[in-house]
Amino acid sequence: MRQLVALVFAAVLAAAVSVSAPARAFEGEKELHEAAKKDKPFTWYTAHYNSETAAAICNGFEAKYPGVKCNYVRTTAQVAYQRQAQDQKAGLAVASVISSTDTSHHGRMKKDGWLQPYTPKNLSELIDAFKPFNDPDHQFVATAAGLVLLTYNTSAVSEKDAPKKWTDLLDPKWKGKVSIGHPGFSGYVGTWVVQMKKLYGWDYFKKLELNKPRIGRSINDTVTMLNAKESLVAAGPSATTLESKAKGNPLAVVYPEDGAILMVSPSSILKNAPAPNTAKLFIEYLLSKDCNEIILKNHQDPVNKHVKPAAGAKPLTQVKTIRPSYEEIDKGIPEVIELFRDTFGI
Amino acid sequence: MRWRHLDRSLFLWLLVAGVLLLLVVNPIARLLWVSLQSPSGGLTLDNYVRAFSRWRYVEALINSLTLGLSVGALCTLFGVPMAWAVSRTDMPGKTLVWIAVLGTFIVPNYLSAVAWILLAGPNAGWLNRVWTSLTGAAAGPFNIYSMSGLVLVVAASSFPYMFVFTRSALDLISSEMEDAATTLGAGVWRTTWRVTLPLTLPAIMGAFIVAFLEAIAIFGAPALIALPGRFQVMTTTLWQFFEFPPKVEVAAAYAMPLLAVTVLLFWLQQRIIARKGYIALTGKGGERRMVRLGRWRWVVLGYCLFVTALSFFLPMVVVLQAAFAKAWGRGFSLDNLTLQNVRFVVIDQPLTRAATLHTFVYGGTAAVIALTLALAIAYIVRRRLVPYARVLSYVAMAPFVIPGIVLAIGFYASYTVKPLVLYGTAWILILAFATRFLPIAYANSDAALRSINPEMEDAVRILGGGRLLALRKVVGPLLKRGLAGAFILVFIPATRELSSAIFLYTAGTQVLAVLLFDKSDEGNFEYLSAIGLILVLGTVALVLAGFRLVGRDFMLRRTAS
Repeated sequence: MRQLVALVFAAVLAAAVSVSAPARAFEGEKELHEAAKKDKPFTWYTAHYNSETAAAICNGFEAKYPGVKCNYVRTTAQVAYQRQAQDQKAGLAVASVISSTDTSHHGRMKKDGWLQPYTPKNLSELIDAFKPFNDPDHQFVATAAGLVLLTYNTSAVSEKDAPKKWTDLLDPKWKGKVSIGHPGFSGYVGTWVVQMKKLYGWDYFKKLELNKPRIGRSINDTVTMLNAKESLVAAGPSATTLESKAKGNPLAVVYPEDGAILMVSPSSILKNAPAPNTAKLFIEYLLSKDCNEIILKNHQDPVNKHVKPAAGAKPLTQVKTIRPSYEEIDKGIPEVIELFRDTFGI
Repeated sequence: MRWRHLDRSLFLWLLVAGVLLLLVVNPIARLLWVSLQSPSGGLTLDNYVRAFSRWRYVEALINSLTLGLSVGALCTLFGVPMAWAVSRTDMPGKTLVWIAVLGTFIVPNYLSAVAWILLAGPNAGWLNRVWTSLTGAAAGPFNIYSMSGLVLVVAASSFPYMFVFTRSALDLISSEMEDAATTLGAGVWRTTWRVTLPLTLPAIMGAFIVAFLEAIAIFGAPALIALPGRFQVMTTTLWQFFEFPPKVEVAAAYAMPLLAVTVLLFWLQQRIIARKGYIALTGKGGERRMVRLGRWRWVVLGYCLFVTALSFFLPMVVVLQAAFAKAWGRGFSLDNLTLQNVRFVVIDQPLTRAATLHTFVYGGTAAVIALTLALAIAYIVRRRLVPYARVLSYVAMAPFVIPGIVLAIGFYASYTVKPLVLYGTAWILILAFATRFLPIAYANSDAALRSINPEMEDAVRILGGGRLLALRKVVGPLLKRGLAGAFILVFIPATRELSSAIFLYTAGTQVLAVLLFDKSDEGNFEYLSAIGLILVLGTVALVLAGFRLVGRDFMLRRTAS
C-alpha cells in the first residue's frame, strides 16, 4: 500500500513537473542574451510556417529575451532561397537565420560556404527521431516538422469512403475531385512527388493524370480547394489542414497506410549574419519548450520532445512515416519537376 | 544660331529625361546585358536558344498574346459603352456606376480571382450551383479554370482603364461637333458612331494597349487560375526560370521579345492616329449636352450594372462573406459570423498596420513621381522640344510590358551596387512602383496634352511669356482635372502592386499586397479577405478624401451638374 501511494505520488509529481516546469535554461544562456542585446537588428528568412506562426514565434522570442528585436520575412521555400541568393550576390548581409523546407537548399548553401556551424545547447531537447536529419558538421539543424498526408472534405465524403492509402487517389470515383500542389512551387509537394515515384514509379502520376487532379501551387492550396468543395480529396499538409479544421471548416486528415511523408525542415545561421549572437539564441529558442508550445498552439507539429501534440493529431513519432533520403531529394526534385510538367502540361 | 531661341527650361527638360533614363533604361539595359551573358561572363545567344527552344515555353507566349488581345477586346466591349453612357447620355444611376468602376479598379486581380474561383468553380462555384438548382442540369456551364475564365477575370479587373480613358476623351468633345453632324441630317446613333466615338479613338487605343500589357504582365490571377486550368502563360513560365537553381539570364532573354511587341503596338497606334486630327479642346468654349435615351436608358443602365456585377459586386460579396466568416467553407449563416478575422489582422498582427501605412505612403509618393515625369516627357514629345523626342515616349511606355518580377530583378541588379544602393530602403519600392506605372501616367498625360491646342501656349509666348509661364498659367489649369484622374490611376495600382514588391521588399518594408499574397498560398482565405477588405476600404477612403480636396467638380462633374 505504501508503495502504491508512493507510486501515485511520484506519478502526480512527475505530471505536475512536466506540466509546469519552466523551460530549462541552457548553459551560457545569460551570456548569449547579453551579447545578443548588443547585436545589429536580427532578421529571419523562413518558409517553415505560415505568417501567423512566424509572427507568434518572433513575439515569443522578444518576450523571453527582453532587449532583443526579431524581424521575420515569411515566404515559400523557393523565394526564401532566391532572396538569400540575391543578398549573397550583392554582398548584402540581411538575414541572420534562414529556414527552408527544401533541405537541398541548406545543402547547397553549405557547399557554397554561406553558413556557419553552431551546435545548439538545446540539441538534447530535439525529438530523437529527427536528429539523423541534422548536418554532421552542424551547419543546419532540424527545427520544424510536418506531414504530407491524405485530406478530405467531411461534408461531402464520409470517413468510410475517404481514401486510406496513396493509391486510393487513383480510384476513378475521384475523377475531377482530387487536389494536389505543384513541385515547381512547393518543397513539400516536391518531396511528396519524389516519394511517390520511389514507391510506385512514375506510373502513379500517369494514372493520377487520368483523374484530372486540380493542381495549385503551394501544398496549402489544397486546403482552399477542399474548403470550396472544388475538390473533395487531396494530398495535403497536416498543419494548415488541422488549423483550418479547428476554425470550423469541414476538413479531416487521414494518415495513409502506406506512410505519411515526413517533412523535417532545418534552420541555419548565415556566415555573414549581422546578428550572430541573436542568431544562436534564436536557434536555441526554436528548439526550446517555450517556442514549441507556441508552435503547437498554431497547429504545427512540435520538435521538442517534451511538448505533446494536441488532441486530434498523432505525435509524429507514432505515425507511419516515409521519407526520401537527402540525396534523393537533392537529385530528385529538379527531375520530378520536369516529369511533372511533361505529364500534367504545366 | 538656334541656341539663342531656346529657353532656360530646356535644361529642366534634359534633367527630367535623364531621370527617366536612369529609372527605365538602366534596369532594362541591365536585363538585356544579363540576357546576353554566358556563365563565364562572355557574350552569348545561348540564353535565347534555351528560352525559346521548348514548345512549352513558346506555347506560353502564345497563350499570353491570346490573353492580352482577348482582354483588350473584352475591355473595349465592357468599358466604351459604359464611358459613353456616363459621359454623354441621360442614363440614371451614374454615380453608382462610377463608384462600382472605381471599386473594380481598387480590388487587386488576385483577390477577385480567388473570389471568382468560388463563384465559377466548375464543381462548387455559386453560379454553377444556382444554375443546376434552377435547371436541374447535372453540371453548371461555367468553368473559371480555362482561358475564357482567365480572360473574364482579367478583363473584369482591367476594364476601368478603358472606361476612364474613353470617358475623359468624351468629356472633352463639345456637342458642337455633334451638332454639325445633326445639322447635316445624321441621327443620334449615326452621330455617335461616326463623330463622337471616332474622336475618342486615340484614347480607346491607348487603353487597349494598357489593358493588353497589363494582361500579359500580371502574375497573381494566372497563378490562381491558369495553373489549375492546365495552361501556362508567360509570367508563370518566368516563375520556372527563377526556380532553384535560378536562371535569371534565361528569364531576361524570355522577356525581351515582348518589348518588341510593345514597340510594334505603339507604332501601329501612331500610324492609325497620325492620319487624322484629334484635337478637340481648342480653348474656344463649347457646350456639352446629354443624349436623350428615352426608354433605352434602362437597358443601358442594365448593361452597366451587369458589367459591374461581374467586376465588383459579385466578387465583393464573396470577399465580405469570407472576411466575416469563422470558416468560409461553411457558407452563409448567422452562427458563422465573426469579427475575429478583422480583429486578428488589425490588432493581433502589428504587421498589418505597418504594411497599411507603407502601402499608401509608397503608392502616393510613387504616383507623384510618375506623374511629374510622365507629364514632362509627354510635353517634350508633344511639343518636340528636343531632337528624337519620340524615343522618350517608347521609353516611358516600356516598363509596362516588363513583368513586375522581371522589372524587380532589373531594379535589384541595378540598385544593389554602387553608386546607388537602394535595396533595403523604401525607395527601391517607390521607384519600382513609379517606374512600373509610368506608362499609365504617360498615356494619360499624353492623351490630356494631345487634346490641348498648342496655339493657346503660343499665345502666351507671343505675348512675351516663357514656356514655364505657359505651363503654369494655361496648360496646368487645363490639365488639373485630367492629372488628378491620372494620379488616382497610378496610385491605385501602386497600392495593389504585387509582382515587383514581392522581390524588393525587406523585413521593414512590407506592403499589403505581399501580406495578401502570403495568405493566398497559406490556404487562409478568411485572413486574406480581411486584409483585402482593409486594402479596398483604405484606398476608397483615401480616394474619396482626394476628391474632397480637388473639389466635387473632379471626375463627377457630368453627373453632379
